[in-house]
Amino acid sequence: MADQELTDRVRELIAENDVLLFMKGTPSAPRCGFSMRTVQVLDQMGVEYGAIDVLPALQPLREVTSEISDWETFPQLYVNGELIGGCDIVEEMFENGELAEVLGVEQPARAEPAQAEAPASDEPYKSPPMQIEGS
Amino acid sequence: MAADLEELKGMIEAALPGARAEVIDETGTGDHLRAEVSAPQFEGKSRLDQHRLVKAAVRERFEDGTIHALTIKILD
Repeated sequence: MADQELTDRVRELIAENDVLLFMKGTPSAPRCGFSMRTVQVLDQMGVEYGAIDVLPALQPLREVTSEISDWETFPQLYVNGELIGGCDIVEEMFENGELAEVLGVEQPARAEPAQAEAPASDEPYKSPPMQIEGS
Repeated sequence: MAADLEELKGMIEAALPGARAEVIDETGTGDHLRAEVSAPQFEGKSRLDQHRLVKAAVRERFEDGTIHALTIKILD
């Protein structure tokens, strides 16, 4: 059973942020290759998004997202309050243009699959990294 | 402990009768895997639900720490 206070906080964050990424690490310092790839896709889309580092409270957050969205792995991308998916789904939707549609932006001209190149720049990302401490 | 790719393939195919699954080790480290799966149970389901079905089939190997990450590709 997930912690009620944390569940409420996560629900609030999902409702407050049009685009919200739960990830391991931060956009400027991802701590997992899949989180990094998801950040790279979002940065190419040029949208503003909130990012939550799940590592300080990994297990409690797993329980919360499992309860809220029936999804336990990270990264997790939410758009307009809806779970989009993890890195594999985000990359697939990026490549076929569905992600641009969901985000309401133009598909970037060079729609290449995100490869492990330079770490993502922090440019389009505006909100400060949010942290949820384990209780 | 490295994952047993054949076992995972078997778990997916057993959980989803009629499914065809290929599980490959993406990084050579035995814990970052990729599963390409087609299954009759996917029909009419959302992509999230298709992924949930595959993950549920191998949940035990996530829980015991054998798998760190599983990239899923749904084949039509």
